[in-house]
Amino acid sequence: MSALSARIPDRERVSSWLTWRRLPVFLTFLLIALALAYILFITTVEPFTGGNWRTTTFGSAVHDPKDFLKIVLDSLTFASALFIVASGFALIFGLMRTVNMAHGAFYLLAGYIAYEVQQGMTGQGFSLDSSQVNTWEWLVPLLVAAPCIMVVGLVVQQAFLRWNQGQELRQALITIAVSVIVADQIIAHFPRNVSQGQRFGGNAVDLTWPGWTDRFVNLHVAGVQYSLARLVVLAIGVAVGVGLWLWLYRTKTGMKIRAGVDDEQMTSALGINIQVTFAITFAVGCGLAALGAVVWASQSNISSGQDGQWLLNSLVVVIVGGMGSIFGAAAGAILFGFVANFSASYLPTTGSDCCTQYSTIFTFVLIAFVLSFRPRGLFGREA
Amino acid sequence: MKTHKLRSWKAAVVLAVAAAAVAVWATTSLAASGAVKPVKVAIMTDCKGAFAFGYEEDIGGAQGAFARFAGGVTKSHAKPSAGMTGIKAGQTPIQIVGYGCGNDTVPLAVTETKRLMEKLNADVEIGPLSGDEAVYTANYAKAHPTKVFIIGTAGSQDPTMQIHPNNMFRYHGDGAQWNAGIGEIAYKKLGWRKAAIIEDDYSFGWTSAAGMIADFCAVGGDIVKRVFAPLNTTDYAPFVRQLPPPNQVDGYFSTIGGTGTSAMLKAFEQAYGKPEPKQWIGNLFFGFLGADKVVAPKFVGSYVGGFGNAPGVHTPTMDAYRAFMNKLYPKLPADDGFVYNYYMAAWALVQGLQKAPGATGAKLDAALPRAIKGAPFQLSGGGVLHLDSRRQAIQDEYQLQLVKNPDGSVGPTVVAYVPTVDQSFGGLFTPSSPPPGRTQPPCKKVVTPWQGKIQVVTNGKVTTQVIK
Amino acid sequence: MNPASWTRRQQVERTIAAVALVLVIIWPAAGFSSYWTHQILIETFLFGIAASSLIFLSAYGGMVSLAQTALFGIAGIILGNIATKGGPGGTSKGLHLGWDPTLALIVAIVGTTIIGLIGGAVASRSTGIYFLMITLTYSVIATYTLGQVTKISGFSGIGGINRYTPGWIGNLLAHPNRLYYIALGTAIVVYVLIRLVIRTPFGISLQGVRDEPIRMSSLGYAVPLHRTLAFGFAAFIAALAGVLYAWWAGQVAPGDVDLPQTISLLIMAVIGGLIRIEGAWVGAFAFIIMQNYITSNTHVPLLGFGGTLFGGSFNTIIGIIFLVIVVVSPDGLMGLWGRIFETRHRPDTGESPPTPAAEPAN
Repeated sequence: MSALSARIPDRERVSSWLTWRRLPVFLTFLLIALALAYILFITTVEPFTGGNWRTTTFGSAVHDPKDFLKIVLDSLTFASALFIVASGFALIFGLMRTVNMAHGAFYLLAGYIAYEVQQGMTGQGFSLDSSQVNTWEWLVPLLVAAPCIMVVGLVVQQAFLRWNQGQELRQALITIAVSVIVADQIIAHFPRNVSQGQRFGGNAVDLTWPGWTDRFVNLHVAGVQYSLARLVVLAIGVAVGVGLWLWLYRTKTGMKIRAGVDDEQMTSALGINIQVTFAITFAVGCGLAALGAVVWASQSNISSGQDGQWLLNSLVVVIVGGMGSIFGAAAGAILFGFVANFSASYLPTTGSDCCTQYSTIFTFVLIAFVLSFRPRGLFGREA
Repeated sequence: MKTHKLRSWKAAVVLAVAAAAVAVWATTSLAASGAVKPVKVAIMTDCKGAFAFGYEEDIGGAQGAFARFAGGVTKSHAKPSAGMTGIKAGQTPIQIVGYGCGNDTVPLAVTETKRLMEKLNADVEIGPLSGDEAVYTANYAKAHPTKVFIIGTAGSQDPTMQIHPNNMFRYHGDGAQWNAGIGEIAYKKLGWRKAAIIEDDYSFGWTSAAGMIADFCAVGGDIVKRVFAPLNTTDYAPFVRQLPPPNQVDGYFSTIGGTGTSAMLKAFEQAYGKPEPKQWIGNLFFGFLGADKVVAPKFVGSYVGGFGNAPGVHTPTMDAYRAFMNKLYPKLPADDGFVYNYYMAAWALVQGLQKAPGATGAKLDAALPRAIKGAPFQLSGGGVLHLDSRRQAIQDEYQLQLVKNPDGSVGPTVVAYVPTVDQSFGGLFTPSSPPPGRTQPPCKKVVTPWQGKIQVVTNGKVTTQVIK
Repeated sequence: MNPASWTRRQQVERTIAAVALVLVIIWPAAGFSSYWTHQILIETFLFGIAASSLIFLSAYGGMVSLAQTALFGIAGIILGNIATKGGPGGTSKGLHLGWDPTLALIVAIVGTTIIGLIGGAVASRSTGIYFLMITLTYSVIATYTLGQVTKISGFSGIGGINRYTPGWIGNLLAHPNRLYYIALGTAIVVYVLIRLVIRTPFGISLQGVRDEPIRMSSLGYAVPLHRTLAFGFAAFIAALAGVLYAWWAGQVAPGDVDLPQTISLLIMAVIGGLIRIEGAWVGAFAFIIMQNYITSNTHVPLLGFGGTLFGGSFNTIIGIIFLVIVVVSPDGLMGLWGRIFETRHRPDTGESPPTPAAEPAN
């Protein structure tokens, strides 16, 4: 090989790089560089009298490092929540090639169950103040909701998904049907522990973090004070990532799962009970959805309609990151979280009519862009 | 052998289909009707989506008026949608032919409206519930002049301002009218001069905000920043961070809707620390529709926008209304706009039919009242609710404050009475101006008809003291 | 088209189809229920057209697309923006270009087809779940664009579109039966068109691309180009449905292209059967009947918690029916129908099995 390269003059080696096929790659890098330059240096603060294409709410990172850092942290924490929910989806998709379209419905169910448990423990009424909730009253709802959802998920998997393994479209359609039924039943039976006129209908309720998260932490960088609750979300996300890695790469079950991902038939032929592995994986995936629900319902709220939202979030993260690997899910979550938050903060403000409210459209156009060039996701393998 | 079987197959199929066709035709043929033709009414509301809980409330409100003024007998005191019989407005029997079930979006409104008006052949529709459905219904009304439409509780401006079909009526204020006066209160009582506003990037968010902005800017306030959060936002943090920090503005207005209100406020708390109640003014989503338990506990002392009714104010007419509704349907909140607005619509229909028995179509349009005497929550003009030239109500509004009740619960109570609020806000909104949007209305100093006339309400009594 | 060479199944099917066609053609004139004429049957025709675009892509292109609803809505929005006028007596939203309605119709259909071609080009290298995902992305983009870009639509959408119909159609509000016949005629044309297209060289190579993309590529066929053209053709069909919907409903709003509507169209196609074009209208008919008659008869005795199944609503019932169909017969009602005839072919009756050439292209 080295003899060969020694015979190709340097000029030709460089020019063989600059082919038309590499144009999309160059364009992509150029656009990313432009966007970074815009955010970091170019943009200026929008004056009260209105703006133009150069102005944003915060101005450049150089001008306002405090806000920039806060937005970076917001993106990281949001990505962390996305990762928790999407990792469950990725686990199921990666091993069983099952697109679990009911993932969002399980998320929603977990959120409402956790709400009922927390209300039952604290018994205060609708919305609680953080000071009324201690750590135990936050953990127990999680410890009740997660197993419930794992059981529901197992039942669905054993009843409807076990016998048609491999028929991807059929499994997707079955899980769509399950999600429609579950979502409708949630609306009929939740929330329960609320005032009379607001019962059922899938109305918005929220969980509450324990009281000790309700403070700011001084980060000692650019004088930034950041919410401890959001840092807790980040910590949980990192813990989930580390835990999953340890499970998949350091335990026997994890080894079986990885083997099943690589070659299901061979694994089965080697005498490993692949059905048990599938069941465990599905249950863990649903459990992660439940954890994500409890975390984000505490951070925000839970209401009907969020099942579609979180299914979409999980789908995007997993597909963009790459076919069902944990690393891909993390990469997808970070990409999605950062694009969503940064476009909502740093799109130009040319006045009230544009543009940060278009952040959702912008994010999805970017996702379509990524998928068009890397159909298997950023870190997907050619199956 | 094969062809024989084939022929008999064919014959059998043809016969079966023909028999089915005859059966369908027989069941759908109309029977002749009796003496005074009953007027058929359909009540259109939501039973799915964001306002699913409005189903029983809306039906209950409308049937409440039928019970009070037209002798209707309800089939169930617990569940209004079980039905009502024996409704007779003067000499005209009223027959409720169906309840529409929407989900706050246009496509289902399309099929439900067609089902009610074309399949069930209703002459009058009372409804719909939500703004976008009402815009569709207004366009439908324009295309079907022989039907009559009385809006239920929709808050969008377009149906009576920009579209204004001749056969569409609204006996309550729109989303902007509900907030009239709150901006002036912020300026005069709280001393706000510069404010920011965070809105749902959605038609009701803009309409509700239009009322706040128009009012606040009319007396001289300045809206320095408008932030719009798209629907189904998962993380409100980036939008909340776009609001100026609490030390740079005097206050914040919010029209973020039910599914996002608590999420947005939590995000604000995590970005800027505990919100100061005197720095926040929300629309009806802070005080009504369940918010009394979700949002209100953290905002005791905040002013909130109204919903056209007056919880906590007691006059003989108001109390008579409440007593009647509580007796008829004990589970429904009589002081909720969902109930009250449908009540007014049904009452107007009864009055119209009393004036012109058996009338439908254009005759009923002419007979429907342009003024309702004794409207429970109207105090101006001796308690008369007037309609303007586009059949839109000029309503008295009540602005509220969140207070802690003696029993520990937190709820809105009326603190200000704003007389005769019209839809145009003193000429700011016209049929040729665009409907409320991100830049509509602009922040302009105008004179609204109620400027300087807002009366203080203390302990449930409207005083003569004006807010200065 | 020699009746003697038809298989058993084809004989029965074509008889039923002929009878149904006759029934449907004479329906308005015969004075049957006008609710069926103006709502159920028209909805069946136009949603059937939209579902047929989905089934065409899935059966003959091997691509399950969730973007058909979005294209359907986009056609309606383009028509609304171009054909309607503003000012007094006009509509309140949209660009109000006020062009000639026939020209507007052409622009709407051509424009949507072009958007479909672009979308198809972007998605042409993806298959399976990745294709599903990218078309879902298109659907989300369409929902938010129609909602948030108020210049062209806004949340209540553009209304009153049915007041601006081309001259050769006339006033649809005064003559509602005209839309019925137009929809019926378009549905027939679309069905024949699809059956024709799949027999063309393009159609056959498309089916080859569906089955063996790598082999086709090595034979020199441009696989992404085939997929792009198929997506564009499906967009054209969806555009026809969208325009019909705009004339029927009068209003096109973001609620017409959101996730629940996308899932509804998928449910229609799956109930009918993703393998055969006829399934589009069968599935649409079944879904619309259920939607119209189940919500108004919501009490299921023995199973209600005071409402429909376990306290749920129409969605629970449609979800259960959908689940049952996918579990029992993943090819939907058309698959069930096919299986009835397969089980009848026992060797001792002497009936010959269907010859491949006579079978509808499957």
